[in-house]
Amino acid sequence: MTTAVAWKRKDLLGLEGLSREEILHVLDTASGFKEISTRSIKKAPALRGKVVLNLFFEPSTRTKASFSLAAQRLSADLVDVVKEASSAVKGESLVDTGRNLEAMGVDIVVVRHQQAGAPALLARSLDACVVNAGDGTHEHPTQGLLDIFTMREKFGDLAGKKIALVGDITHSRVARSNIWGLRKLGAEVGLIGPKTLIPGAFKDLGVNIHYNLDEVIDHYDVFNILRIQMERQNKGLFPSVREYHYLYGIDSKRLSRMKPDVVIMHPGPINRGIEISQEVADGENSVILRQVANGLAVRMAVLVLVQSAKDTHGG
Amino acid sequence: MSKAILIKGGRVVDPASGHDKVADVLVVAGKFAGIGKFIEREVHRQHAHVTEVETLDAKGLVVAPGLIDLRAHLGEPGHDSEETIAHGAEVAIHGGFTTVACLPDTDPPLDNVAAALFVKRQSEKAGFAEVHPVCALTKNREGKELTEIGQLIEAGAVAFSDEMRASDEPGGLLRAMRYAAMFDRAVIEYAQDPGLAGGAMNAGYEATLAGLPGISGVAEELAIARACMFAREAGCHYHAPKLTTRNSVRAVKRAQKLKVRVTAEVCAHHLAFTDEVVRRAYDTNFKVFPPFRSANDIAWLKRGLKEGVISCIASGHHPVAPQEKELEFGRAPFGAVGLETALAVVITNLVNSGDLSLIDALAKLTVNPAAVLRLNHKKGAISVGLDGDLCLFDPNAEWEVTSQALTSRTKNSPFLGMQLTGKARFVVTRGRVFEL
Repeated sequence: MTTAVAWKRKDLLGLEGLSREEILHVLDTASGFKEISTRSIKKAPALRGKVVLNLFFEPSTRTKASFSLAAQRLSADLVDVVKEASSAVKGESLVDTGRNLEAMGVDIVVVRHQQAGAPALLARSLDACVVNAGDGTHEHPTQGLLDIFTMREKFGDLAGKKIALVGDITHSRVARSNIWGLRKLGAEVGLIGPKTLIPGAFKDLGVNIHYNLDEVIDHYDVFNILRIQMERQNKGLFPSVREYHYLYGIDSKRLSRMKPDVVIMHPGPINRGIEISQEVADGENSVILRQVANGLAVRMAVLVLVQSAKDTHGG
Repeated sequence: MSKAILIKGGRVVDPASGHDKVADVLVVAGKFAGIGKFIEREVHRQHAHVTEVETLDAKGLVVAPGLIDLRAHLGEPGHDSEETIAHGAEVAIHGGFTTVACLPDTDPPLDNVAAALFVKRQSEKAGFAEVHPVCALTKNREGKELTEIGQLIEAGAVAFSDEMRASDEPGGLLRAMRYAAMFDRAVIEYAQDPGLAGGAMNAGYEATLAGLPGISGVAEELAIARACMFAREAGCHYHAPKLTTRNSVRAVKRAQKLKVRVTAEVCAHHLAFTDEVVRRAYDTNFKVFPPFRSANDIAWLKRGLKEGVISCIASGHHPVAPQEKELEFGRAPFGAVGLETALAVVITNLVNSGDLSLIDALAKLTVNPAAVLRLNHKKGAISVGLDGDLCLFDPNAEWEVTSQALTSRTKNSPFLGMQLTGKARFVVTRGRVFEL
């Protein structure tokens, strides 16, 4: 673990605001925690006596489980509040919910919300640390970090590496966090998908945009494949799942035309047979399950860093 | 027996006449009685009925006609916890405004004679700025049945608008404009295609990164261009409100070239912010409708103001309760208060930036809006016989916009924490002097 760069943020709201050094600091901290997972006793005392609150206004399996496990491995007490059980349905505002839970002594709030900017609103209103676990179509910073962590395990330095994000970029917070992080680390980023799902404005971030996957299939070192949401079809953004699969589905035929050591990623949950085929998802080039394992280490690192920043710098 | 107010030694700027030099202004019994050089005892000699002369030292101040606002949401009836007509009229005075046109999007809407009379009565009872109703063009602002425009004018309606009507049936607007064309009143409309206009902020780069749904400029441009065409067809005066985009300015300019009777306005805050401010903190005080656009759009708005395509600047005053603004950005209502900052924004962002001279800028806050509201026979200029409404302001006063500095009940201003230049010091109206 490096200690050269101090982490001074009590909140993690997105990767946009982070410097290259801060990103690397989280990833290095995560490496240390990954090593803990290989021990027979997997618990560390870093957050003993602290309370972590999972405040989820949107369904989530892996992100919530990953944060829960991360908190428990760090010896924190854990409270889960999901939308159905919270007062959100009774008309209490997000800020009021946050303040009430904070009054019970919560130290870190991990929040997922349908509305972009909701974690920023909470962070502004609370003294507790706020970690964004996905807000609307804005950012999903821990997913971005774990994707980058996984790529770095494979390649080391990402400068000059060519990373493609495939699918619905418009509605993807994972894509945004990936773009910010990867650009800061000097990677070349390409977005591949239908024109109705890639806003032209992304060009201004210095990324490539491709509407034809097959033309650039041997150019990229990594394909990070995003989940395609069926409801977009009803909104007229693409004609059918079949056409989507025909144009952008990653199957073994396409895999065979990619670079031999290409890395296939997917943030999950997967629609097998639509954006990615069974063989590719489970094949040798896939690191999908490793992403999940790395997610745990990254989230442990984030929880420890925000809490220690609050302890040392008073937020 | 009446009272005179003598305003001495100020820089008298009257856009209607082009007057811009140091002079005294005399108001007798609430009306202008002269501009020039006056001494108190001569006032008594010339106006035998004057029993009292109040003298104001205006040295170092600009003496302008009382400001006139075309666009304020005053909440009442229906949203009187946010603002009332009486209190809104007091807030207006603090911003230098002596006349305010309030919008019909109340609950129930200002679509009948009783509602119009209610506005007038509240305004008279309060005794601050005069509040005049802009009444709905159609019943319940639904774009279907016409309101009784003839009788509403008799009751005091200064213009007609469905103000972001609930249902948008384009043919309905054309029909209403045809009917309204019989009367000497402007139709103010901004009827966007709801399918294009849904969103939380300006569509584009910033919205893409913020992950917020965008409001396309095209929605506004279509609405403005379409209403211009309807105005040509109907022979009606169309006033295009709250322009924010380059192509809206162009649409109005094109219509004016074709001699369509079209006037246009911009809200002061749209000259001060771009959509970049939104993503900094998802601060809902920056959530306004139409949304803040790009720097290029602002340049075009300024160009439109310079060329005279846009003749008016409005406050766009829209109070929103704090608990509503404390919601997530996507869920919070649109709106920003503006009556108390509009003058300072015009000075800071148009005059001091070198875009407009002071007299040209003031025209857009006085004589031009008076003409749109058909109030120019009694307001908007410093001219003998007209209502003695004045705004005396210090064009160099720097002040910070804070919650405490605002009289408005709600504090949803995008300018909070910012320094602005220019502040009203005295307002004269209804034969009274308000010291601010």
